[in-house]
Amino acid sequence: MSKHDAFIDALSSDLAPTGPPRNISRVALVWLVLSAAYVMVVGYLLGPIRPDALTQFLNEPRFALESLLGALAIAMAALCAFRAAIPGAHSKRLLVITSVLMLLWIAHYAVGIISPTLAPSMLGKREHCSWETWFYATPPAIAALILVRGLYPLQPARTAAGIGLAAGMIPALYMQFACMYEANHILEFHILPGIVVAALCFAVVACWTTWGSGLRPNRK
Amino acid sequence: MALAPNAAYAADEQRWSALMVSAQAGDEADYRCLLGELSEVVTRYLSSRIGFHHYLDDCVQETLIAVHQARHTYDSNRKFRPWLFAIVRHKAIDALRKQKSQQSAIDNHPELEQHDAGAEQLENSILSGRLINSLSAPYREAITLTKFVGLSTSEAAAQLSISESALKVRIHRAITQLRRMMEADTL
Repeated sequence: MSKHDAFIDALSSDLAPTGPPRNISRVALVWLVLSAAYVMVVGYLLGPIRPDALTQFLNEPRFALESLLGALAIAMAALCAFRAAIPGAHSKRLLVITSVLMLLWIAHYAVGIISPTLAPSMLGKREHCSWETWFYATPPAIAALILVRGLYPLQPARTAAGIGLAAGMIPALYMQFACMYEANHILEFHILPGIVVAALCFAVVACWTTWGSGLRPNRK
Repeated sequence: MALAPNAAYAADEQRWSALMVSAQAGDEADYRCLLGELSEVVTRYLSSRIGFHHYLDDCVQETLIAVHQARHTYDSNRKFRPWLFAIVRHKAIDALRKQKSQQSAIDNHPELEQHDAGAEQLENSILSGRLINSLSAPYREAITLTKFVGLSTSEAAAQLSISESALKVRIHRAITQLRRMMEADTL
């Protein structure tokens, strides 16, 4: 038996059944729904939402559009991140669509500095909204990293960044309703912490991949 | 009767998918058969594109290990080839990046050192790789000298009459370009 055949034999002997694979889009959707529910429940327990937020959502088309655009961008970011953990399931088109949606959403706030979506107001201001965004984003991000670790991300650090972005932007969007509405405040205290969560996830997994066992488990 | 190329392509796709599903259920014989076929396919794929045989052996083994570790992620509702070749491309670029500059190919093939013909054989082997060959000359030289011929960064930089940092930039860009070409390459 050649060395190569022996190698194949070693891989195939005592083969453990793995079971059918999970539908990754469904996993992403379940994670997204549970994470959003967690953020809303914990956020509500720690402070009420802005009194007129729901009325504004129903009566101000630009505000509704902005919120829905954010929700869509986050959903696509989650799908993109989870699919990146399956070889060959990630597509450039999906990445481009997600990036465009995310940039449009954030750009809308930048436009809002000049042409506000809602009249800027301090109503509903939360004292520690920036820290709350961090706090709410951490458990969903950790849960997603654990889920993804059971898959096979070819680019672990990039996958982690995508997960961090989706996890960080869920509370950022929630703060749109729970905290004061003012474009500068939103960019600085809601969106920026969300982006920092993505950067942190990237950095932690990059270090872990370089010096530790990485995001990928060693399966036998 | 031999199958037409398209029919053979589709038949391979179906067979590998079925073998992998069977392997996911724990069937060792089917898995052994699948790995045997995949190792030939991966060797042919890399040999036609990268074209360096010492590098290939390690790369094929790394790819098979990755296929083994990722087998639970294959979904039979998706095509098999994109799943497989995403792993192959990643492992090929990874192996190329990790290929130590000091590890001379000639060290690993002492027979090449004994004859001038050996160097020619090595060069022909490298140039048979379609993608390596389509890199621009500066990138091809940088990657060939450091990753395949086995010169150190300083030796290769001296040979090309450029600084070490310029050489490192060329190597990095060559690998990036190779990865893009592999991604754009039809399977």
